[in-house]
Amino acid sequence: MRENIVEIENVSYSYPRSPGMVLSEISLEIKKGEFFGLIGPTGAGKTTFCCALNGIVPQFYGGRFFGKIAIAGLDTLDHPISILAKHVGQVYEDPETQLIATSVENEIAFALENLKVPREEIMRRIPRVLEAVRLDGMEKKHPAELSGGQKQRLAIAAALAAQPDLLVLDEPTSQLDPIGAQEVFSTVYKLNKELGMTILMSSHAAEEMAEYADRIGLLSYGKMLLVDTPDRVYSDIPLLLENSLRVPQVASTFYSIQKKGVPISKIPVKLEEGKQAIRELVQKNDTACTLKIDDTSNVSKKGELLIHVKDLEHVYPDGTKALHGVSLDIHTGEYVLIVGQNGAGKTTLVRHFLNLLKPTSGVLNINGVDSKKLTVSELASHIGYIAQNPDNQIFNMTVWDEVSFALKNLKFSKEEILNRTEESLNSMGLLEFKDRHPLALPKGDRARVVIAAILAMYPDTIIFDEPTTGQDYKGSQYILDISRKLHKMGKTVIVITHHLYLMPDYAERVVVMGKGSILLDAPIRQAYLDTEKLNSTFLSPPQAVLLGKEISRIKDQEFPLLTPIEVADCFSKNGGAI
Amino acid sequence: MSMKFQTVERDSIFTRLDFRPKIYMMLVLTVVALIWESPVVQLSLAFLILLACFLSGVKMKFIRTILLIMVPFYVLLLFTHGFFNISQVKTLTGREELTILFSIPQNWFLIGGLNFSLEGFWYGINTIFKTLTIVLVVPLVIFTTDLDNIIVGMVRAKVPYKLAFIFSATLRFFPLLFSEIGMIIQAQRLRGLAMEKMNIIQRVSVYAKVAVPLILGAMVQSQQLEIVLQSKAFSGDPDRTYLHESILSKLDYFVLIFFTVFLIAAFVSWAVWGFGAFSGPTDSILF
Repeated sequence: MRENIVEIENVSYSYPRSPGMVLSEISLEIKKGEFFGLIGPTGAGKTTFCCALNGIVPQFYGGRFFGKIAIAGLDTLDHPISILAKHVGQVYEDPETQLIATSVENEIAFALENLKVPREEIMRRIPRVLEAVRLDGMEKKHPAELSGGQKQRLAIAAALAAQPDLLVLDEPTSQLDPIGAQEVFSTVYKLNKELGMTILMSSHAAEEMAEYADRIGLLSYGKMLLVDTPDRVYSDIPLLLENSLRVPQVASTFYSIQKKGVPISKIPVKLEEGKQAIRELVQKNDTACTLKIDDTSNVSKKGELLIHVKDLEHVYPDGTKALHGVSLDIHTGEYVLIVGQNGAGKTTLVRHFLNLLKPTSGVLNINGVDSKKLTVSELASHIGYIAQNPDNQIFNMTVWDEVSFALKNLKFSKEEILNRTEESLNSMGLLEFKDRHPLALPKGDRARVVIAAILAMYPDTIIFDEPTTGQDYKGSQYILDISRKLHKMGKTVIVITHHLYLMPDYAERVVVMGKGSILLDAPIRQAYLDTEKLNSTFLSPPQAVLLGKEISRIKDQEFPLLTPIEVADCFSKNGGAI
Repeated sequence: MSMKFQTVERDSIFTRLDFRPKIYMMLVLTVVALIWESPVVQLSLAFLILLACFLSGVKMKFIRTILLIMVPFYVLLLFTHGFFNISQVKTLTGREELTILFSIPQNWFLIGGLNFSLEGFWYGINTIFKTLTIVLVVPLVIFTTDLDNIIVGMVRAKVPYKLAFIFSATLRFFPLLFSEIGMIIQAQRLRGLAMEKMNIIQRVSVYAKVAVPLILGAMVQSQQLEIVLQSKAFSGDPDRTYLHESILSKLDYFVLIFFTVFLIAAFVSWAVWGFGAFSGPTDSILF
């Protein structure tokens, strides 16, 4: 029998000024060598739970703590954080703020030096842990020179170097692009399987958690609602939806098929299992799927030419060529999705639309006017830009001031400012918070404050730059629903995102970028089915698309399916494909 | 967002030196700059430091920014000494009357009748280059040292480890703060703030408003940093091991000896022959 690394007995906790319990009567045991996944909506208490494992909660934050947590037999209340740090390695969400040294080797050495590990031993461990996270040979590099995925792997290496009994990772991939997230997941999985490292990881990445975790714990409002295998947790779709959690697309596809009356013995949660199940389901019936996809039904009619880009090149002052002869036309009323790996040039491109960057060469016209002739502030009233992190766009003391800020700059009358601010706050459901400090609101609400502030200017075009990064499923959907509402009002919407699975219900056209060039510019269905192009920029299509491809392969006929519902629509009650 | 600390990219004698002799050099040069009051000598010293900054690869853009910040202060210094520093300059030069360069007409309100003296002007020049030496020696020492070496060097120089770490963390966060200022102002421009149409006073008020979100952001970040540090077993205890050894080389010893000799020589020549004194032998070419 394996020994327990984590033993949690009836733990409840509240922060010094929090009204209720943030963690409530949690009991859990995690065995040595286990990969434990922690899921739950934003505000469920996942970060607090992770911080309780190395004593930061309650030793650093204070507050009221009940029950007992023992890590490798050490009570987290009786042992200082510096002792617990030897047993619990922590990796946090933000790759920027958790790296503190000026070189890779110093980053790894820092905790070891504090733990008084002899210099010779530190020098022995550095190459070993770097090899484990595939960063070998990068000892002398500055952490700022690493990509997001590499930074998180360095944070993992630094945590590993202390040879902890437990590695805790709190949302380690939420700020990363798909390739970075994949690097982190595969590294953690390898550590778990090959070195037997015990892992506790919290994450919103449903597909990956289903794939890698041994057990999943569902935390909601501080309570551990369910602890079970990924198969059981991710196939309980009503429970996941009730808790605003995203369901792996494989599971939601088979759940939708089941709801159509097709008998499904077990809802698969992993892609390979899903492909196998879909093969069996299709083979039960020879009839081909007659699903008709009307590709033009949800595409807006092209309006006037809004943004005209021709042979656009951009070279940054350090010599990096970020755009290579990009040509693109965007018309009024379009909903355009721009996708691609980090460094593909997506943000560089849209920053040109706002005149935050000027073309090194090429043509860029906004509404027929050369962008160089327009100022940032002039453009701002026509093109609203909502950047990734809402906190970097909040600088007023109240929600009301934040939303009315732009209107004052644009010299509207007092009455107009009052009307527009009120209208904008109302449309975002923020009027009741108008006197609150924006930073005192939860993250999802802060994003809405920024959107309200932009909408108050009545822009014709709205650019959302990675709006769903760092948001949970509910928060992401809320923002995307706003984007759809704006699109229906006739606005032009441009969204940059890595989260392809969220977009089929919203976007019409997809621009796939890679290494500063446009690889593909096509209607969403065509773009999502071009898996080769997507893979070339390190994006993988949603699982529903891959299941559709599997049906196409078996039937030897093209099934251009995008969503779980579309895949489910291929099946009927009689037990197979229609 | 780059968190990279501003270090020089060029290899020079300054990058090869240990942090301790460099700190010693900084102290000696500061003391000497404080002792000397001759504009000629101060100008030469500031010029030498500027040259050293240039040769060691400190970015000229950075020095230009420092100079721009200091200009209003320097103009004020020059006027104050030129108009008002009369008794001190008389004592230092041993003159009964100062050379008047120009006077304010008697009928001017409040300041009518004030005289601007040549000697006061040169004393002002001395203070300007004195402060410039003290200011410029800092990037010369800091930017040519890796942050890790700063910490190890300070700890070896018996500075408490926690203090050394706070010092280095502050330096590390400076570029981050600047990038945040840039981001906040960019967000304001994207909400119609027309910086390009603003006068200097309006621009200053924009920067002043940035302070609140900046401080709030810095507080959040410092709490995050503290959590990260705690989870890396950091307690501020100087009793820890070090990956990098800080051993003084021959060059380091040479620099230590050189600046000790320089300090003694500067002091003795100043005390005995008036070298570097205001209106002393080095200023004979001026007045």
